[in-house]
Amino acid sequence: MFNRNIKPDKFKDAETVIGASIKVKGNFIGQGNIVIEGTLEGSLKTDANIFVGEKAKVVANIDANDLIIYGDVRGNLKVKNYLSLGATAKINGDIQFGALSVEKGAVINGQLSSNGETSRREVKENDKAKLDDEE
Amino acid sequence: MHVYIYDDYLNRGRYNKTVNRIEIRLTDLGLNGKIIRLSGIKNIRGTIQNEIRLGAKTIVAVGNNQTVNKIIGAIIEADIYGDFQKNTLLGIIPVGPDNSIATSFGIKNEGQACNILLARRIKKIDLGLIGSYYFLNEARIESLGTKINFADYSIEAQERGEIRIINLLSDRSNTIKSNPHDGLLDILIKTKKGDETLLRAKNFSLINERYNLLLDDVIEVKTPNEVKVVNNKINVIVGKDRSFD
Repeated sequence: MFNRNIKPDKFKDAETVIGASIKVKGNFIGQGNIVIEGTLEGSLKTDANIFVGEKAKVVANIDANDLIIYGDVRGNLKVKNYLSLGATAKINGDIQFGALSVEKGAVINGQLSSNGETSRREVKENDKAKLDDEE
Repeated sequence: MHVYIYDDYLNRGRYNKTVNRIEIRLTDLGLNGKIIRLSGIKNIRGTIQNEIRLGAKTIVAVGNNQTVNKIIGAIIEADIYGDFQKNTLLGIIPVGPDNSIATSFGIKNEGQACNILLARRIKKIDLGLIGSYYFLNEARIESLGTKINFADYSIEAQERGEIRIINLLSDRSNTIKSNPHDGLLDILIKTKKGDETLLRAKNFSLINERYNLLLDDVIEVKTPNEVKVVNNKINVIVGKDRSFD
């Protein structure tokens, strides 16, 4: 089902591609989709989507809309929409996500929290208040 | 009025027939003008600037990338640049090899060039600037040992290969869609191992202690140096088959 060698189509014309032989240091704020196959230290952010390849090594907090990881990431992840961790993904850091899928073999060391958790808790409180009134 | 700037090397015997063909074709099309031969002229910049002051409507580089570069170098930082930008166009008639700039403008040969001059299809394009040197197509440098510094981050290549800083591609590459109007430079790094890196930026600095930058296959420039794009800098006459929209 998941082929680690194929990037999703939406990354084929990515605005920014960091190749395997490239080292990036600093705060990288991209426009559009970003593909990381090399090394990045610092921070990584885009309003669009990020793909971290199998051989990539990222030591940075990542902030993105969709995030797909097959490589090694040390840092906190903040994903507005969809986070996908492939079989070779290794994450050391806390993760915030909208929706999550994790392939067998992925390693996660950190706390996970869904962006939707707070709103679900609020709905339950409201329902409880209605039941109290009825009684 | 058209002013045709003939580069030095056109004096060589093997280009005589080509130059004759060009002159006959221009006459047929009613595009005669003044001819200035650069061989034997000491003050090339002064000569070209003078023609613009005298009201030249089109300056045509008859030669190769180097000819175009000499003309741009004569115009851009001069006090006549304002007049040039408002009133004068740059055209090209390619003769011989090293004509990637003409190719990127959709001008394949001298015959086609004359027709394109007549059609007078005009585009305003950006120029790249490295230190005090302008480039139209691209600048290249060895990737190993090169560090590129942006405002908030830097990148360094760990393998041998080539870094290309592209303003205008001479062919429609399927790797990047180069756009000479967007105010951005494309940075393409290809290593010998086959991996590719692609970035876009307005300005950055570049350093390599061992290798120099080569601009438009013509000028070598040392580093460290600032690199930036200058928006909508010149008006050029282009063909339908150009490598940009």
